[in-house]
Amino acid sequence: MTRGRARALVVVLAALHLLVLLAGFVAPYDPVDQARALPFAPPVRLHVIDADGRFHPRPFVYALVPDPATADGYMEDRSRRFPVQMMVRGARYSVLPGLESNLHLVGVETPGRLFLLGTDGFGRDLLSRLLHGGRVSVGAGLLATLSALLIGMVLGTVAGFSGGRIDGGVMWAANLFMAVPWLYLLFAARAALPLHIDTRATFLLLVTVLGVVGWARPARLIRGVVLSARERTYVLAARGFGANPLYLLRRHLLPHTFGVALTQAGLLVPQYILAEVTLSFLGLGVGEPTPSWGTMLGSLQQYDVLTSYWWMFAPAVALVVTAVTYHAVTSAVHGRIRLVTT
Amino acid sequence: MRLGVSCLLAALFATLPAGAAAQPLPIAAGEEVLVERDGSGHYGRRLVVALRAEPRTFNPAIAADAPSREVIGRMTGDLIHINRSTQLTEAALARGWTRSTDGREYTLTLRKGIRFSDGQPFDADDVVFTFRAMLDERTGAPQRDLLIVGGQPVRVTKVDAHTVRVALAQPYAAAERLFDSIAILPEHLLAGAYARGALAEAWPLTTSAGAIAGLGPYRLKEYTAGQRLVLERNPFYWKADAAKRRLPYMDEIVFLFAGTEDAQIIRFQSGESDILNRASADNFTALARNGSARHRLEDLGPGLEYNFLVFNQNDLSGKGLPQIESRQRWFGDLGFRRAVSRAVDRESIARLVYRGRAVPLWGNVSPGNRRWVNASIARPARSVSEARAILKTSGFSWRPDGALLDQQGQRVAFTIVTSSSNTQRTEMATLVQADLKELGMDVQVVPLEFRALVDRVFQTFDYDASILGLGGGDADPNSEMSVWLSTGSNHLWRLGQKTPATAWEAEVDRLMAQQLVTLDSRERKRLFDRVQELVAEQLPFIFLAAPHILVGARPDLGNFQPSVLDHYTLWNVDRLFIQPDGSQRR
Amino acid sequence: MRVVFRYVARSLITLASVSVFSFLLLELAPGDFFTDLRAETRVGPETVEALRNQYGLTRSPLARYWQWLQSFVSGDLGFSLAHRAPVASVLWVRAGNTLLLTVPALLVTWALALPLGIWAARRRGRWPDRLCGGATSTLLALPDLLVALLLLLLALRTGLFPTGGMLSPGAEDMSVTARVRDFAAHAFLPLCALVVTTLPAVFRHVRASMIEAAGAPAVQAARGLGIRPSRLTLRFVLPLAANPLVSLAGLSIATLLSASLLIEVVMSWPGLGPLLVEALLAKDVHVVLSASMLATGLLVLGNLAADLTLVGIDPRIRA
Repeated sequence: MTRGRARALVVVLAALHLLVLLAGFVAPYDPVDQARALPFAPPVRLHVIDADGRFHPRPFVYALVPDPATADGYMEDRSRRFPVQMMVRGARYSVLPGLESNLHLVGVETPGRLFLLGTDGFGRDLLSRLLHGGRVSVGAGLLATLSALLIGMVLGTVAGFSGGRIDGGVMWAANLFMAVPWLYLLFAARAALPLHIDTRATFLLLVTVLGVVGWARPARLIRGVVLSARERTYVLAARGFGANPLYLLRRHLLPHTFGVALTQAGLLVPQYILAEVTLSFLGLGVGEPTPSWGTMLGSLQQYDVLTSYWWMFAPAVALVVTAVTYHAVTSAVHGRIRLVTT
Repeated sequence: MRLGVSCLLAALFATLPAGAAAQPLPIAAGEEVLVERDGSGHYGRRLVVALRAEPRTFNPAIAADAPSREVIGRMTGDLIHINRSTQLTEAALARGWTRSTDGREYTLTLRKGIRFSDGQPFDADDVVFTFRAMLDERTGAPQRDLLIVGGQPVRVTKVDAHTVRVALAQPYAAAERLFDSIAILPEHLLAGAYARGALAEAWPLTTSAGAIAGLGPYRLKEYTAGQRLVLERNPFYWKADAAKRRLPYMDEIVFLFAGTEDAQIIRFQSGESDILNRASADNFTALARNGSARHRLEDLGPGLEYNFLVFNQNDLSGKGLPQIESRQRWFGDLGFRRAVSRAVDRESIARLVYRGRAVPLWGNVSPGNRRWVNASIARPARSVSEARAILKTSGFSWRPDGALLDQQGQRVAFTIVTSSSNTQRTEMATLVQADLKELGMDVQVVPLEFRALVDRVFQTFDYDASILGLGGGDADPNSEMSVWLSTGSNHLWRLGQKTPATAWEAEVDRLMAQQLVTLDSRERKRLFDRVQELVAEQLPFIFLAAPHILVGARPDLGNFQPSVLDHYTLWNVDRLFIQPDGSQRR
Repeated sequence: MRVVFRYVARSLITLASVSVFSFLLLELAPGDFFTDLRAETRVGPETVEALRNQYGLTRSPLARYWQWLQSFVSGDLGFSLAHRAPVASVLWVRAGNTLLLTVPALLVTWALALPLGIWAARRRGRWPDRLCGGATSTLLALPDLLVALLLLLLALRTGLFPTGGMLSPGAEDMSVTARVRDFAAHAFLPLCALVVTTLPAVFRHVRASMIEAAGAPAVQAARGLGIRPSRLTLRFVLPLAANPLVSLAGLSIATLLSASLLIEVVMSWPGLGPLLVEALLAKDVHVVLSASMLATGLLVLGNLAADLTLVGIDPRIRA
């Protein structure tokens, strides 16, 4: 693995996150805006040659109208062109809390619509939902990973460092945590929360719960590393010189665990993004109309969506790309993947 | 490990005795069979039906889940039956019946010479036993409450071996309809369990075929856990076709367990199941697109189910829910509810959620209920400006940014809870949310797991509004008593009232009680029309849509006459048959 | 002897704590089995209350836990409210069906992952390794739900495979060979889904362990001595890598009853999946408890099997 390749991968990963972070600007529409006349519209076609065969350097689209020949199909209304424009004013969105904007990267004039990835059953722009949904999904993945790793690091280090009873206890608890049906905790947590807090906040809280529950695996791995590092000769030497335990931890043991933690993070983030899909499967995902990749994928279970609207697979593609990039970066940074999820 | 696997394989592939289908017995002299005049068919073949989930029991007394009832319905018979096609009552195990002049006593004459599916004779003792068992609290029968009339259980007594008398505490309109779907139990098989107080545990799925008997067209042949349930022809069944040949036509019904509704559709599309009992509109549309030639798909028009938005108007004193109590100022305001109703885009709901296979609704009776719907209920079109005008007269105002404020300057914001397992209702909530945003209301949709939802709506009252559906049962208004009576257990917007909280609820109480004891059906209709008017004016529910009943079957299925009443496709299973010259798919 | 005793005791404590923990979680979620009857128009609240009383749902949590424990120990595994029958009568059959799917899937997964992993490790960093790495990380990124759905779509579009179930209707009349073929046709897609979703992780473990072992001093020395690469891999690297792999195999055994749940639901396989999802949603507490006991028991057994194997093959470990 060359250095340049690793750097390139990190850049790709950063770009992915930036894209999702700037969802409001990149997305042409408000993700909850319903174009009720256009449910399940296929991705719009970009033209450079109009109906009369004239060439236009600036790509343009036609408006969609129902196709009278089919029950629920669409056709292009060729009577008017809508050129694609850059930096247009559109729906308001918040860049950061307190900072709003209505500037969008691309767009067309109404009644034309720039549905680059088509629409869902409510006529909402899929691309905009994908980008905004990424915020929730990737955010959830990061948050859950952070909480799982934090707890895992602390408990794993303590267990590996102290050994004996404490070690036995922590590892026993880890085993226990891997065996309990956590689903009910999520049901219970959702039921216990008041309804009136923001659905996004509820969801992030659920994901945090998921992360908290998922400490067991990283803890086991980190314990293993600490355990083996503890027996290294220089650590034994330092201990022989009477170094205090905190110093030992900070100076000699923790640095060893960072590699494992980083690797784990690279694997856990996509895994928790995936977990959100399962959560949505059980109706515990982020509530409508807020988009997330999990809820968007959930609609694929419906027979009609699965068999009829191929563009609805877009979130699956986004998911795979993100996860693959994460894995690639992890293995590039770490050199090799030690342990993977089972 | 390997040993275990080979044992399992052996268990799986052990050859079972491949018994030939039971042949229908010739009709004996003196056997009072019911002759079905129309729709003659051909004997043989098997019908494959994919259920959404696995049934839980064979016990008719306790079955509460849909799959169990779907199966048990084919294995049992009732005294008086509601014809799913005409929606009228007709003779079944009771050959006929008379009503006393005061309307409080019914005398039922039972068919003579007919037998349970195990060959044992059926008589008045079985009927008396059934009602005693169903009414016993230890049984815990979900149908028990139906058989309580005027606060007292119906009394069923034997007159002679083939006559029973049913006494009611008060006159009861359409009392015949009570008997529909009350499965007559075989006393000879269940008396022992009942005497031990263990009727509720009788007939679990593991019961052997010989230990179960009923009066339905089919009887149990084989049940393989998790996989399938095979029913075979009841050779003693008490119906015959016009040519005096004993029904049913088909040898077997095989029930498969699909797991989800979408899996059900997939099994049907691939030809692995023969009947689709009810499809959602989007799946139905997709099915029509993906090869309609191989299936017969039917849109039966609106069913009885009505979906609505309900606001929490429950008495919350002592519940410790001050926030919801403060919002109840709006929910209790008729102007607020009227504005919401005017702002809701019902047409879009029917078009987007149901792909046009639903009717917008302004009252509590679906147009699918042809005999009872009040056609003169107003159906005002959507108008945001009208809605705003109504809000204004009720004292609401708007902030410069468009947010709606109430009389005291509080922002109008609330949540709608829905069942996360019901896609359509969650989608409706999403549309309603966008509609109400145009009025400046800040609405959040919270999908909850069904049990959590029921807990909030029925128990804790910790919710603002919810989208729910009702009315899957019978067409008769009596089946809706618990919804409209102010003391009713489904009087959702204000549960557990001792006395009616408003004058109009008191009037509805009066009307519903009166229609219950009115025997003249014209007069009953007049009374129930008034109830519908009151409900449409007062809007305890904001009615949204009544979905169509969408069904399908293999194209060569004969006598397929789906109805808008449950069970939509298999109600006449005794006459279904597969055309002999049909495609040989299986 | 004392070791065995301690092991059994520790396993029992684990099982007991899992059951208590699961029970508490079930307690936290609102509603009980009879709650959804409240939404029936024809059933009054008194009837629901009577039912709750009759089946002991109004008793204290402790009493209810005790009720389950007694029944579990007696071999009934509790009482299913949905089926009104002992849990054992509904659980074992389905557990068997799940094993019919997961055991072959496990064998296939390892049969593929082991040679692939060894191969990729030997060509580390070159294109076969890159290819496998890319493929597995793509597969890892696919939710099993999606894999199952895609395979189902394939079955539907091609018509080559049945779209669900384990045997065709009418299988009871088939000859044994026809029935085996019917079973194989039904099992093929769920098996594929299961292999596809579990293979990447196992492959990566195998590869990582082989690479790690290849760096060990003993192997370096052997390589220095000029031992042929294939012999080196089989005689030196593989035994060194065996240790973590055996532990992983133990973990695989532990997932035999849980790995396929979602796939079973989507593909209508008559195993534990559909039963458990129904029981979870219906809050049929005893079914959920006993099923998680079964899964935990398997976890304990899997660990035990791994430990015993390690004792057998690794002279350094003596229990």
